[in-house]
Amino acid sequence: MLKITDAPTGSPYLHLDEMQPWNDHLQTLECVWVTDEAPGVKTFAFRSDNQTWFRYKPGQFVTLELPVGEEPVMRTYTLSSSPSRPFSISITAKAQADSIGTRWMFENLVPGMRVKAYGPAGGFSLYDHPAGRYFFLSAGSGITPMMSMLRWLYDCAPMTDVSFVNCARRPDEIIFRSELELLASRMPGLSLGFLVEERPRTQSWFGPTGRLDLTRLALLVPDFADREVFCCGPEPFMRAVRVLLEASGFDMQQYHQESFGTGPIEPVPAEIAEASDGLLPSEAPEVATTPVTFTLSGVEAEAYSGQSILQTARASGVRIPAACELGLCGTCKVKASGPIEMNHNGGILDDDIADGYVLACCSTPRGPVSVEA
Amino acid sequence: MDVQDEMRQRLAARQQGFTLEQPFYTDPAYFDVDMKMVWYREWLFAGHDCEVPRPGAFFTLQVGDYPVIVVRDREGQIRAFHNSCRHRGSRVCSAARGTSARLVCPYHQWTYDLDGSLVFARQMGPDFDASAYGLKSVACESVGGYVFISLADTPADFGPTRDMIEPYLAPHNLADTKVAHETTIIEKGNWKLVWENNRECYHCAGNHPELCKTYPEAPGVTGVSGGADDPEIAAHWAHCEALGLPSAFRMADDGHSRITRMPLLRDAVSYTMSGRPAVSKPLTDAIAADHIGAMLLFHYPTNWNHILGDHAITFRVLPIGPQETAVTTKWLVNREAVEGVDYDLDELIHVWTETNDQDRQIVEENAFGIRSPAYEPGPYSSDHEGGVDQFVDWYCRIMALRLTEEDSPTLRVA
Repeated sequence: MLKITDAPTGSPYLHLDEMQPWNDHLQTLECVWVTDEAPGVKTFAFRSDNQTWFRYKPGQFVTLELPVGEEPVMRTYTLSSSPSRPFSISITAKAQADSIGTRWMFENLVPGMRVKAYGPAGGFSLYDHPAGRYFFLSAGSGITPMMSMLRWLYDCAPMTDVSFVNCARRPDEIIFRSELELLASRMPGLSLGFLVEERPRTQSWFGPTGRLDLTRLALLVPDFADREVFCCGPEPFMRAVRVLLEASGFDMQQYHQESFGTGPIEPVPAEIAEASDGLLPSEAPEVATTPVTFTLSGVEAEAYSGQSILQTARASGVRIPAACELGLCGTCKVKASGPIEMNHNGGILDDDIADGYVLACCSTPRGPVSVEA
Repeated sequence: MDVQDEMRQRLAARQQGFTLEQPFYTDPAYFDVDMKMVWYREWLFAGHDCEVPRPGAFFTLQVGDYPVIVVRDREGQIRAFHNSCRHRGSRVCSAARGTSARLVCPYHQWTYDLDGSLVFARQMGPDFDASAYGLKSVACESVGGYVFISLADTPADFGPTRDMIEPYLAPHNLADTKVAHETTIIEKGNWKLVWENNRECYHCAGNHPELCKTYPEAPGVTGVSGGADDPEIAAHWAHCEALGLPSAFRMADDGHSRITRMPLLRDAVSYTMSGRPAVSKPLTDAIAADHIGAMLLFHYPTNWNHILGDHAITFRVLPIGPQETAVTTKWLVNREAVEGVDYDLDELIHVWTETNDQDRQIVEENAFGIRSPAYEPGPYSSDHEGGVDQFVDWYCRIMALRLTEEDSPTLRVA
């Protein structure tokens, strides 16, 4: 078992202001604890192996390099921890039978084990959108960035006005429920709401049930129109939320969603699998894959839901030069055709887009796609 | 005695109205001083607004040791940067021109926004301060469709040049044109020989049969005497100014630029073998009148120009070595003009393609002869070579001034 004396020998205890921030290309992460949160959901906490601290914005993510097979896989997870507790970070992941990286962590990752990680990165944070009143809306494990932000607010700005709503299939699947109730008892500005799809048979449930619609939204957060909305969950959930909000005349400038379309991201099996749980059965995406043809290489590949063209290329051995993987530098510009959703960060010109180019790192197939690579 | 002292002495002892002594045209050490005192300090013509038509469009040029990028930023402003990555110095843009959402160094993909700021550098560690490593800017001004840059630490005030030439250029709307054709020729001669040849038409009769069909050999046209005392020129100015086109001769106080509108021969309106327009769509509909002649602009040390009603021909001089100079010529036409429909490319470029090649031979023969140990400075024609004399005077004056400044202990940097 890990003890405090496990710190590198000879190195004295350092105060925060004497410690360097964690450097992802110098130091690995060391798992310090694992705990069950809900059925199929675990939290993994890490510290650095070299007495460093973690500098990030609440809501950001890290990418773990997991030694699943001969080739390690890269998996991205939002942090559930708060940067106000900077000595460790934690991720909270949901695993399904068909997940690979998360399943590996569930079965293998124990305290004392080290993994390589990259980050933290990402722009989904209240840091970037300060507001007087917030509405954190999540489904399933999309709660993790919300938890990071809420924990940060509790530590640093506990009087903040936050409406926190999590949607789950059943009450026992609400992640962090008891901690949320504890926080609500100490944060006067925090109002908590849960929406479950199925009323449980074996316990009482006093909250609303069903799928999120305008009536339930108004019931849970009557003043949602005046709030800065942060939304995270499976893509169909976020899409349904956008449709709802737009229909209500909501100012979409105040809407922010976690997007795994940007960043050095490999697909998150937990997210994919969870989407198929059917939070919104009518819109549940198929876990099925999308065909991607790399014409110059003569490779027929399959993109998993949420997987970018660059990730698909790598997975199938097609080389596309890339550098930032944030849609910013434009190195991965390729000609592509077919239904593609691109979330770039200024790394491509409108003229290039009109000419049929995309940035592979931040483009996701939305149907059969052909790529000149 | 170092080269600067030697140059200073030769400049002081120079015989007025005569060509320069041999080392000014041949000596590599003199050339280095020319670069430092003239080229790295003056405002230089880099290219045209229309060559960076959209945000992200860029072109590159090389001034002596300095590679430079000219790019249009997201807000539409034209900017210039030193083309040297702040990482390990690699050239960020190696292409002559292109379009890119960001400027990405091909070596390690350090990525700069179009305003020069460093927006991405992979894995440089937590202490890396990207804001300290933006591309270094180069002073950049756009006027009348022309982009000028200055490599000087403290560039001279561009205002007087702008004030002088902008009203003349404005009616021609050159920012909205396109480059129909571009050539770069290398003339094996010192950059000053290229200019001296340009600054007179004494040589035209014997060398430029195509140009002489339309361009007058009258010394008042090419030179710097103004031309107001020539009734034909005065009448031309009156005609053009009545059309709202500033035309009278103007020259900067320090002589580095001149602008005026000169008539062409007889009924000629363009530099074609027939004298007829080469382009059926005029540069701008705002100037519908024929017979506006050629607007002649020079700006030492990088460009001379002929701006007509139907097209414009612009010339950029860049020294490559003591005895090698690149001359880039661009033919600008209305952006909407279509090759083969509104103009025939061969007809458009014929006269100046021939004339450039003739000038190249002239300059190279001139350089040959100057390399002879028997060469000694010779006299300029007072009738025909006032323009050459003015150019050489300009050069000698600024060189003497800057060499003196350089020598002054109060101005010398320790």
